[in-house]
Amino acid sequence: MAPLLKVNNLVKRFGGIVAVNDVSFEIHKGETLGFIGPNGAGKSTVVNCLTGALLPTSGTVEMNGVDITHMKPYQRAHMGLARTYQIPRPFPELTALTSVLASSIAGKKRYNQSFQDAMYDATHYLEFVGLFSKRNILARDLTFYELRMLELARALATTPQLLFIDEVMAGLNPGEAKNAIKMIRKAKEEFGVTVFWIEHVMAVLMESADRIVAINYGAKLAEGTPDEVVNNDDVIEAYLGRGWREYA
Amino acid sequence: MVELELKRDRIVIRLGTRKWEWILEPRYWRNTLIWAAILVIFPAVSYFVSPGLINTMISANIYAAIAIPLALMTIGTGRMNFGPNFFIGVGGYTAALLSIAYGWGPLATLPFAILMSIVCALIFSPLVIVARGLYYVLLTLLLPLVFLEVTFIYTDTFKGDTGLFGIVPLINTGNAKINFLLLGYLSTAIMFAYLWIINKVLKSRYGLLMAAINDDEEVAHGIGININKIKIIAFISASTMIGIIGWFYAHYFSSFAGITYLPLTFMLKILLVLMIGGRAQVFGCVVGGYFVAFLEMILIRTMGPIQPLLFPIILLILLFILPEGLFGLYRKRRYREYMPTIHVRR
Repeated sequence: MAPLLKVNNLVKRFGGIVAVNDVSFEIHKGETLGFIGPNGAGKSTVVNCLTGALLPTSGTVEMNGVDITHMKPYQRAHMGLARTYQIPRPFPELTALTSVLASSIAGKKRYNQSFQDAMYDATHYLEFVGLFSKRNILARDLTFYELRMLELARALATTPQLLFIDEVMAGLNPGEAKNAIKMIRKAKEEFGVTVFWIEHVMAVLMESADRIVAINYGAKLAEGTPDEVVNNDDVIEAYLGRGWREYA
Repeated sequence: MVELELKRDRIVIRLGTRKWEWILEPRYWRNTLIWAAILVIFPAVSYFVSPGLINTMISANIYAAIAIPLALMTIGTGRMNFGPNFFIGVGGYTAALLSIAYGWGPLATLPFAILMSIVCALIFSPLVIVARGLYYVLLTLLLPLVFLEVTFIYTDTFKGDTGLFGIVPLINTGNAKINFLLLGYLSTAIMFAYLWIINKVLKSRYGLLMAAINDDEEVAHGIGININKIKIIAFISASTMIGIIGWFYAHYFSSFAGITYLPLTFMLKILLVLMIGGRAQVFGCVVGGYFVAFLEMILIRTMGPIQPLLFPIILLILLFILPEGLFGLYRKRRYREYMPTIHVRR
């Protein structure tokens, strides 16, 4: 089966800094792919290159066999790519419902979709993440956890095939984080999306991910099942530093 | 015994066992009809009381009719255009030059004024993609000023120093007072048409997409909005609507001089209408237009020579104490809408 998303030799340079160096991997339909790496490893840059916020210096990105390397973000969104942001970026002047409504209208093309149809859709997604009671509150007045959930609803409302989740745990307390993880798993089951999950916290991905890709200094360190990756010496070294064996 | 009770969104009137409710929302259809009826009756009343008021009313309608498309442009492009009067110059000069050269009437010059506005808007529309924030403000600010210079440099054509005279008047019935009355109604009709069209657009799905662009362009792009298309369409359509106002000015006064409309003073008045009305709220633009026009008229009549100083000071104080504008006073209590406000970005 052809992979849903195929990344070939992705390179991104910012002037002299090589942020992403020759990264290749595949995402298959229906799986949860974890993406880990220490701070500044280039995780978010990879996601930005894949969703179109940045153009890669070289390398190609293919989705369902179509080359999307030079497509604009909105074209990629119409093809079924959606993302959440590490620091939530809501539409501050829109209410929770209208934020989701906007992405329901703008997302993947649904012909003959009326304003009302989009509104029903948006209501459904908002209810799914548990924000229905907050539907008329301006996004800037929501709490951090609610913003995270609003981002998830907004991403799901574009009816994506592939959902990029950028550090869902950051800034949440343990109870909220648990809910957030549950919500993403539920979304995967109900809407059949493939999840590309960037995370700092290894424990989360150990439970949820089918495969993990680890990168450091922009280059791929390891790829495989969670157990293989956490036991990989390079990965441990990247997280704990050289000479970790002396203290082990 | 009549009992009145003020609730959050309505006034409840009780008389014995009977009860009436009056919705306060200014855009509730009954209230809208009342506002519209007042505006329609106003010229007819002032025709008999004080015909000079019709003149002020025309100015107010035209300020509003410039500010309303500007609100659409601000929301749709997510940027603050500081040179909407450039398109007044384009529309006005097109109409004036054609009318003087060929003796055409207003109906003949209108299509050309529209066409020229569209062409100019198309030429400058890449600005909304390449420039943001302060750079966009500076570039749009320069457009009318450069145009003003052009009218002085090519003074043979544009008559930059004296202005163009002898344009065919918009309405000529032979009676000056009736002309004024009809012009009053025409300006009201233009203002209402703009208000109706743009309110419809902003309430539709395109309005919602524009609101998203206005809030965060990158995220809007990411959720699948073709931001460049929407920004350019908003820019061109709003510019064309402003160009039509230039056409109106040229035929209304039978003369057109760039020095009246292209300098900063005129532009500031329009921006203040936009801000005092309620930060790019289309209904607020009407309130703002009438407020600014009548304030100006009252100051000219009562204050005399210090008026040019006092007028901007009053408006700036109002801007300071009413950051959400006059319409914002009401809107503050009702957030259940997605009409966006302006953000000037870096």
